[in-house]
Amino acid sequence: MDGFVLNIIHRPEMVPEYAEKVTGHGKEEDISRKALLTESLDIFRFQQDTAHKNGLKTTIQMTYASLFNEEAISLAKEHHETYGDEIALTLLGLPCKEFRDKYKTKDFCIWMFSMEDKKSIVDDVFGKFKEIFGFYPESTGSYYMDADLVNYIKEKYPSVKCAVATCWEEGPKAYHTCNNSWYTFMDGGPWNPWIPSKANVHAPAANEEEDSGIVAIPHLSRDLLACYDGNGSNFGTHPQNVLRGMIYDTKTWEYPYLYNLIDQYRSLEKYNNGYSYNMMFVGPGWLNKMGRWEAPYELLCKSYEDGMKYYGDLKKEGKLTDMTMSEFADHYRSKKTYEEPECALWRDILYGSDKQLFWYCDPYMRACINMDQGGAVTDLRPYAAKLYWPVGIGTPHVWDASYPFLIQEKYRAGYFTHYAGEGTVRSAKLSYRGEEVDLCLCRTHAKFEEEETVNGKKARILVLDPVEIRFRDLTVELETRVIFEEGSSEIRHLRRILSMSDKNAKVSLNEYMVACYGTTEYSEDMTGIVLSVEGRDKIEIPYEYRCREASEEGAECAVALIPQIDTKVTFGPDRRNGSCYIREGYAFSPMFTLGYTTELKDQEEVTTWLRLEKAN
Amino acid sequence: MAQAGKGKLNFRCPSCFMRDIDMDMFYDPDKKEYYCLRCQYRGSEEDVLEKNEMARFRYGAIAKRFTDFEI
Repeated sequence: MDGFVLNIIHRPEMVPEYAEKVTGHGKEEDISRKALLTESLDIFRFQQDTAHKNGLKTTIQMTYASLFNEEAISLAKEHHETYGDEIALTLLGLPCKEFRDKYKTKDFCIWMFSMEDKKSIVDDVFGKFKEIFGFYPESTGSYYMDADLVNYIKEKYPSVKCAVATCWEEGPKAYHTCNNSWYTFMDGGPWNPWIPSKANVHAPAANEEEDSGIVAIPHLSRDLLACYDGNGSNFGTHPQNVLRGMIYDTKTWEYPYLYNLIDQYRSLEKYNNGYSYNMMFVGPGWLNKMGRWEAPYELLCKSYEDGMKYYGDLKKEGKLTDMTMSEFADHYRSKKTYEEPECALWRDILYGSDKQLFWYCDPYMRACINMDQGGAVTDLRPYAAKLYWPVGIGTPHVWDASYPFLIQEKYRAGYFTHYAGEGTVRSAKLSYRGEEVDLCLCRTHAKFEEEETVNGKKARILVLDPVEIRFRDLTVELETRVIFEEGSSEIRHLRRILSMSDKNAKVSLNEYMVACYGTTEYSEDMTGIVLSVEGRDKIEIPYEYRCREASEEGAECAVALIPQIDTKVTFGPDRRNGSCYIREGYAFSPMFTLGYTTELKDQEEVTTWLRLEKAN
Repeated sequence: MAQAGKGKLNFRCPSCFMRDIDMDMFYDPDKKEYYCLRCQYRGSEEDVLEKNEMARFRYGAIAKRFTDFEI
């Protein structure tokens, strides 16, 4: 798979999100106001014209409301004929008089309806689309599409091959940014296109059997560092997001950040067999004629025009291929294998630091390696579990569509905690004569390498710049390599002592993983988790918040079974001279620890692995 | 005192913005100031714009064009 591919999506939303709230302030709610409908079509026309002027084709995602509007329909048909735009169907933009009259609800997020309503709405919307255009769409989407919804659509409307299926890291952070009024979470998914599994849309399929039959694309291409820490809606390939984040010069109206973001995405081709991707999908509410946030309408338009021009220029230079969603789905399937991972070595382009993260996503996990913390794993989602997680009214997760984490440094601390307890992270500590240093405090950078393994598969390897650890009586130079072998469901950390100021010294190495499970920043009940050390005997600790621990010299591995998320985590070394240990947490520190301790001499190395599996 | 309304744009509270909360402010025409419903910030348009500039302090690379993404 090669080249930089762009999907541009527009939707004629007759009642643009935000518009009724913003332009309608001080008026009684009326979603059928003529002014609102006219404005929406004007915006849609402007977006389409801007793309076409720059030689770019789009995917027109008709909303349910727009299927009742002759002008929107004829525009779509005309643009399909003239520019080759795809006419598709979105499940966003449901609100309109016809919808409210029929469903008697103000709910508008398709994933949050009951399954019965989901089916009924899908049939309604797809049926209306067919009635108007004479065919069923090949692409659809929403901000999130749960697995049951995708499976239903695919079964009933097999022409669908592509869907916008998540917003990267829009969970509690988005909720907070919206003054705790964005009542749905969707953290933990892939940042770039993937083939979703039938069990869970966020978890990529590992094989044909698990394949949901569609290619999923994320809503926008997001800053993989800024979005992880801050509001997702400030840092994406959505020009008005960049304005929302105030990342522009108020005097010159320039925003190099937008182009840096696009270019960094382009640079990811180095880690993905020459392929990179961008998606831009700006809803009409963001081009409100009354302005949005602090930005006047003129700036909103300028940012959209500039964004399109940048893409258009790249296309003219032969550096970009624009595709419709369905074209992209075919392209993606023809080039990508199920187990080929998506990799992103990402640098800070906003604060001006040298901070660097590595994101890895395959059918078994999504992981974040933080070079600012010595190569620690600071986010981990066990996709291997293919967790069935129904979403919507009538399920245990009415609003929470996030894929659960084992490690999340923002919601469960990470290395730094206040006063007591531990945060989730997978790192290592070196100690010598009573002093201890955690590699989380060894800032470094990494380079990306690939190595052929068996059956033509590859290992993706992060080679971290060596770090120096200074004890009172000893200086140690240590190199870390983080290895992801395709299809292995493992993360391997190799530590190598490059030099020691005292050649005869031995340092203690404690490789560890502090973890828990959850989707939000609040702790879940850990009861039911079982920790064990597997060696000569099997030592078990059922989790009861009693702060117990156990270890065994020469053991094979330490294991955590987390039935709440159908996940088994195994942590072990590639040699036996050392101890594996388990630690239960306590009420103030609701975590568990799996670890391995050993001693290392000069020039010695050891590899520890963390394996993820479905629990049963 | 009459009710507040929207100002000419959706000015957000700069104080809340700095803690990652988007709070649209309302405008008090009697006092000629915007005010936040969530925190205690209030200020004139000029003050809002000045504080918004301040909020950008963390964007050290706001004016920088990157050509290399490897470190």
